Amino acid sequence: MAHDLPLVDVKILDFTWVMAGPAATRVLADYGATVVRIESTQRLDTGRTIGPFHDGQPGVEHSGFCQNLNAGKLGLTLDLSQETGREVARDLVRWADVVTESFSPKAMRAWGLDYTALRQVQPDIIMLSTCLMGQSGPLAQFAGFGNLAAAISGFFSLTGWPDRPPAGPFGAYTDYVAPRFTTVAILAALEYRRRTGQGQYIDQSQAESALHFLTPALLDYTVHGRSQERVGNADAHLAPHGVYPAAGQDRWLAIAVCTEAQWQALCEVMQRPDLSHDARFGTRAARLTHRTALDTIVAAWSQEHNAPEAEALLQARGIPASAVHNSQELYGDPQLTHRRHFVQLPDSLHGTTTVEGSRFKLSRTPARIERAGPTLGRDNQYILGTILGYSPERIAALADTGVLQ
Amino acid sequence: MLSPYRVLDLTTERGMFCGQLLGDLGADVITIEPPGGSPARRFGPFYRDVPHPERSLFWWALNRNKRSITLDITSSDGQAILRRLVADAHFLIESDTPGALAAYGLGYDDLAALNPALVYVSITPFGQDGPKAHYADSDLIILAASGPLVLTGDDDRPPVRVSVPQAYLHASAEAAVAALIAHHERQHSGRGQHVDVSAQQAVAQATQSGILATPLHAEEFQRLSGGVRVGELRIRLVWAAQDGYVGILYFFGAAIGPFTRRLMEWIYEEGFCDEVTRDKHWLAYIELLVTGQEPLTEYERLKLVVEAFTKTKTKAELFRAALERGLLIAPVTTIAEVVESPQLAARDYWQRLEHPELGQALRYPGAFAQFSATPITYRRRPPTVGEHNRELYIGELGFTAPQLAALQSKGIV
Repeated sequence: MAHDLPLVDVKILDFTWVMAGPAATRVLADYGATVVRIESTQRLDTGRTIGPFHDGQPGVEHSGFCQNLNAGKLGLTLDLSQETGREVARDLVRWADVVTESFSPKAMRAWGLDYTALRQVQPDIIMLSTCLMGQSGPLAQFAGFGNLAAAISGFFSLTGWPDRPPAGPFGAYTDYVAPRFTTVAILAALEYRRRTGQGQYIDQSQAESALHFLTPALLDYTVHGRSQERVGNADAHLAPHGVYPAAGQDRWLAIAVCTEAQWQALCEVMQRPDLSHDARFGTRAARLTHRTALDTIVAAWSQEHNAPEAEALLQARGIPASAVHNSQELYGDPQLTHRRHFVQLPDSLHGTTTVEGSRFKLSRTPARIERAGPTLGRDNQYILGTILGYSPERIAALADTGVLQ
Repeated sequence: MLSPYRVLDLTTERGMFCGQLLGDLGADVITIEPPGGSPARRFGPFYRDVPHPERSLFWWALNRNKRSITLDITSSDGQAILRRLVADAHFLIESDTPGALAAYGLGYDDLAALNPALVYVSITPFGQDGPKAHYADSDLIILAASGPLVLTGDDDRPPVRVSVPQAYLHASAEAAVAALIAHHERQHSGRGQHVDVSAQQAVAQATQSGILATPLHAEEFQRLSGGVRVGELRIRLVWAAQDGYVGILYFFGAAIGPFTRRLMEWIYEEGFCDEVTRDKHWLAYIELLVTGQEPLTEYERLKLVVEAFTKTKTKAELFRAALERGLLIAPVTTIAEVVESPQLAARDYWQRLEHPELGQALRYPGAFAQFSATPITYRRRPPTVGEHNRELYIGELGFTAPQLAALQSKGIV
């Protein structure tokens, strides 16, 4: 049954690029917000150069990464280095409830588009800036990508094997964490404005947001002076706990035994009744002490099985286990299929494209994901003509100045 | 920002971060613990290494800005009390196995009948429905099932997780987003709804869209220590310094190529490479490698050149140069260095919370963002077990002291 989407009344003017900002506004678009995304062909969104690409072929309109982060948004190409471009931006500020940007600090000020200036244009505007280290402090101008913010926030030193250099989490890790805080901040500020009529400025340091995912380790240091380091897949409380080889090339099985019952069940599944009363493994504490021996035993069993079958065997006995999925297996995963995690959208260049769906379900007002992210300048006419009400002559004149690029 | 709203937090360790986030934004969050305290209080590390429910750093990390009451919701008296609380609540958050609360008459349908405006948030490993909805789980299992694990670690060893559990923080933060979207809608419709958060789907965000490689017919990313392998290309992000490691985004193209060119200029200045190496076509270098115009062996040589250089510098020297020269370098920072960071100090990030029961103030990571009109405040340290029983049961629900004592003796509170 058709319903009004929850955020149908929310208008976002979005200057963010690459991942952290766009991932945050994508969620708002899924639930009905009108998101106008400003891009420039003069200063191309780096996100357009990040894979995976359609058919593995790089190209500014081929990035599945960029499409995934921008589905459902409208796109306007605008050169902000020109005053006429900034005039258009200010008209969009008058239209918008929220302005988001993720440039390095000073960029918006240099264009006269900082919060102080935007307030003159629209007194109750909500503006959110998100960057690696925040708008102030000695590292404010440190620009870069989420992998560097992850390195400087401790995630790298905490990921990998104790006898090896840090492996680091995959990719631009803080770009996966920070967007949740961005979206929460925007929604909370909208709620406050609804009640009080007051807008505000939000300064988000992606590093400071992401540190909330390391709090136990940070407290361990502030309380005890202990600086935790990477420990592979060891767990302070659980054994066996790890990623074990499965049959085949680079095939793996994750197992995490959390209770005594699960340990006994694992002994049975492995057909090793001898282990269930082996004193080395009789209690959780004993298993933690003998975890290396235990890991060898579990690995000897796991490598004889293929990962999905072992997962099913273990889960049937209530033992936490999962095959370690790659993209191909994720695409075929019955659970993700059931949850409609993959959404096919019509795409003017590729016929269809696939993006991820909403990561949660609202029972009465589910997300609607119907339109691929904008190709460069796709919605210029709609945004200038319909949203801003510019005349065809004015739009043509703007195009002639080259500002719509 | 959320001060008019009350949140009932019934979560296990899986979901506690969601309520804390809403509490940071001002909501009145009441964590409802089983008598004796939440099982999550059994997770370490512990204050001065003494395992005790009132000393869990893990629990403290997830429960500031909340009040605590104890209540046995498996008893019918406890369920009746919870229903009274629900009548005046705006949000309820839970993270039990799908159907577990419904078995106590506390499922979404049951409680929506009492309070149609309730936003009822469920955080589970795989979502409320589907073939894996009842799977046994843990942090590691979710990471395996959702994609980032296979991409993380050394290519000659098993995939590896972040040593501090992450999966349910992703899910719980996503749940706060979802709760506030449902809340926004409630302002128009007057109605709540059931919010169903899947940790698997939330964590899939950490594949950086790599999850889409198969449907897009693209090459899958492969794990590589301190980097990523795409096809034959071994992209490296972590480099040895004199006193540890640094992250360098040593890559090419229109956006990143100029940074790499500046790095190579510095390396040349210090005598670690020749002019030909310095002056490669960094903006188009990736195309040169992909088309074979530049052999991959030359790219491998370049990485050795960079490493020979970085090994002669300290992390601080490399980072200072990054700021001065505009390079994509960041130190691989230890937890100790994070806490001592001048940047975080300059922004007044760390927040002290007085723990009177310890006679000590502890330093917590501070506001996740700075709000100009409504700054985030840490109003309450994480509560002790049932610290607010009297306040809630007598002060708000109108029980008398003898009635509360009776509930306590029956083990309901």
